[in-house]
Amino acid sequence: MVRQSLIMAIPTLFFGGIIVFLLIWNFVISLENWSLFNPFPKFTGLLSYLYLFTQNFFYASIEHTILFTVGLVAIGNILGLLLAALLYFLPNNTQRAIYLSIFIYPIAIPPTATALVWLWLFNPQIGIDWLLSKLYLPSIPWFATPLNTQLALVLVEVWAYTGLAVLFYLASFLSVDRSIIEAARLDGASSMNLLFRVLLPNSMNGFIITTALLFLFSFRIFDIPFIMSGSATSPTLMTLVTYIYYLFAYSEYFSVAAALATLVAVIAAIVIIPYALLGLKRWVFRR
Amino acid sequence: MNNKYITRVIKYAILQLIAVMFVILWLFPLYAMIVGGFKSNMEAASAPILLLPRQFSTEAYYFDWFGFGTLVGLEFPMIRQLLITIPVALASVILGSMGAYFFYMQMERRPWISNVGFSIISLATFLPAQTLTVPLIELTSSLGIYQTYWGLAFAYFIFYLPMSALLMSIFLPVVPNYLVESARLDGARDWSIFWHVIFPLVLPGFLSTLIFVFLMVWQDFFTPLIIATKPSLYMLPVAARQYVGGYAILYNRSFAAGVITSLVPLIIFAFLGRYFIRGLAALGGGAKGI
Repeated sequence: MVRQSLIMAIPTLFFGGIIVFLLIWNFVISLENWSLFNPFPKFTGLLSYLYLFTQNFFYASIEHTILFTVGLVAIGNILGLLLAALLYFLPNNTQRAIYLSIFIYPIAIPPTATALVWLWLFNPQIGIDWLLSKLYLPSIPWFATPLNTQLALVLVEVWAYTGLAVLFYLASFLSVDRSIIEAARLDGASSMNLLFRVLLPNSMNGFIITTALLFLFSFRIFDIPFIMSGSATSPTLMTLVTYIYYLFAYSEYFSVAAALATLVAVIAAIVIIPYALLGLKRWVFRR
Repeated sequence: MNNKYITRVIKYAILQLIAVMFVILWLFPLYAMIVGGFKSNMEAASAPILLLPRQFSTEAYYFDWFGFGTLVGLEFPMIRQLLITIPVALASVILGSMGAYFFYMQMERRPWISNVGFSIISLATFLPAQTLTVPLIELTSSLGIYQTYWGLAFAYFIFYLPMSALLMSIFLPVVPNYLVESARLDGARDWSIFWHVIFPLVLPGFLSTLIFVFLMVWQDFFTPLIIATKPSLYMLPVAARQYVGGYAILYNRSFAAGVITSLVPLIIFAFLGRYFIRGLAALGGGAKGI
């Protein structure tokens, strides 16, 4: 009986096994000195890692990744929380559902389209700045300095992924027991008090899910910086994942690319596996 | 009493106003994209992008669809995308749900198997795909499927079959255990338990997973970027990228390319958005209440 369900699981186990196999292979490549001009690599230990640590791009891409990730997690959490509260207090269910889907639709459309439209919205003459000048507001020099460009990317990320935060905060607000809310209302709690004293303390799960997912989505963001800056060669928008592609496609050191990929995979796994086993699995199977 | 009523109305109006403001902000890029694609090239380059076109023109769509010079038209990438994405998503979800069934069955008897399996499928779902660049290209070229449709489908399966299994393992536990046990006592085997007892009950979850995975495969930019780099194999997101050209001569055309790339996802989201949202919610353990 067990054997038949095992046969049914073969495709999943096979492709899941390939992921593990590729990660191990990646680690093995990172210990060699394989490059375009050295087709017969030898074991060189941690040399690729040491080379990686001498590169300025490596430190720059760490800085940018931290900026993009912290920016999205912080802004996404706060904005998502406020928008979820806004939707929670709307009395009409249909309206709430429609607004929620409007906040989520950016996740469904291809990042290629997102990057391409936002590139135009940041145009200093005819983009958002045109609207700001019509409203007598100061215009924003989006791409004037590297920092401005990076903050503009955080803005695009916020537009693209805040829907996630809204969804999970709203879900945890709605799962708070109605009787607690009625009781607070009877005691004369204002909406603000209700939000910060009753709903928020009961939304720990929402906070953990949102933070983990926003971190993972922004940590792996590749398409938007890649397309907005034209390719993976721009030092301004280079993140750890675009730097992997840069090392692979524009430099000849394949082993260095594999070394960086190993580091990134380890960081991702440190977040993913506890999230999956302690979070996801427990929430699902507790029912 | 009357005073209290008025403050409540004002509060409600402010709430609505703020909500509508954010909704409009969120719709801005979509609006700019649709409007921009219908402008003439000169107008798209010079007129504010948030204004409606003075003269309605479909020139940009002709240009993008059939291509020009070295720019590959989006006609064949679109057909390719439909022909590859639909079977890949369907096969991933069917095979992935069988895997999820296995992990679900092992839950009580051998928890370590289901823990290891769950970790691996989560890793495959959330891991940045870029970390596998070098070995993935090595593997596909040594199998002789680099730069082919098979190689592309193979790479999609590596990422999206485990993702389907993860989403389905979130949806499966809604089936009460006693149904499975009683079917087993009646002598049903796993294959028929899965198809006749479990599958009909998790059909909504199956649809959610299917739609979520389909849209994720559709918008995948990186996998075709490294596996199918020949212009004759361009997938839609990669082909559309040619039309971005950072303020070059492609003004209205880059908006049109954006519309063509996101046309299918937008239609699906408009009609089946509920399922997509439920699939997304599954990434956070099901998010009860939505």
